[in-house]
Amino acid sequence: MKTRLALVAIAILIAWGLKRHYADAQPDDLSWILGPTARLVSATTGEAFVMQPGEGYFSRERLFLIEKSCAGINFMIAAFAMLVFALFHRVESRVDAMRVLGASLLASYTAAVLVNTVRITVAMWLSAHPATLSSFSAADVHRIEGITVYFAGLVLLYELVQRLDLGTEARSAKVASGAGARSAQVRS
Amino acid sequence: MKRAFWTNLAHAFRRTALPLAAYYAVTLALPLANGAAASGAAFVRHALVVLAVPPILIVVACGLCAAANSGWSHIQRPPQQSSS
Repeated sequence: MKTRLALVAIAILIAWGLKRHYADAQPDDLSWILGPTARLVSATTGEAFVMQPGEGYFSRERLFLIEKSCAGINFMIAAFAMLVFALFHRVESRVDAMRVLGASLLASYTAAVLVNTVRITVAMWLSAHPATLSSFSAADVHRIEGITVYFAGLVLLYELVQRLDLGTEARSAKVASGAGARSAQVRS
Repeated sequence: MKRAFWTNLAHAFRRTALPLAAYYAVTLALPLANGAAASGAAFVRHALVVLAVPPILIVVACGLCAAANSGWSHIQRPPQQSSS
């Protein structure tokens, strides 16, 4: 019980720390997440993004800036909180708690970079092919696209973790039943 | 058919409850806690879009799944020939 409470406290601290870091950071301080995202966007779109100190990653050809608000930190916090909650039932010891925290942090960072790459790539495509929907402005389309990609990313990440978690549980049950059968054979 | 759709929709909402809660917490609860409501109409507009889009996506996804399933079962089941 104490371990689980400590896990919740540490998870809240990590989420709060990320949010504070994001609030106070300059774009250059977020290169740990903006850099990989910009490189992946470059790889998917073929556009070169160059780091502009104090601004972010800029594509001169497309006049497109990957700035601080594109970092995906809020997505990373949401994914991290969701994963800690989803894997909470696995925590029996301190080692389990550290594993859950580490795995959630790593998975949320990876997911944030990947999902953000998709979001920015789609946003670049949409800006190059503006839709003629009279009731939606370009900002509305960008917002709806962001919500769609982020929410779909969260759902996909959750499904993936649930499947991996169920697979691990099934393997553990198989190993336990195999060990039980072997010990029964030895006793007989 | 309709009943199956509603059952699937309820199942989809249960299944996506945690991602939905995490998304709403970060996009609505945290900004509200930080005083974003003071920005007035702009935040209300943003909040309405954030609140509406994910459930719409779930309904659309369920509708597409139902349509795909019904189409698939229609293809799999050949039309019955009359015995006369």
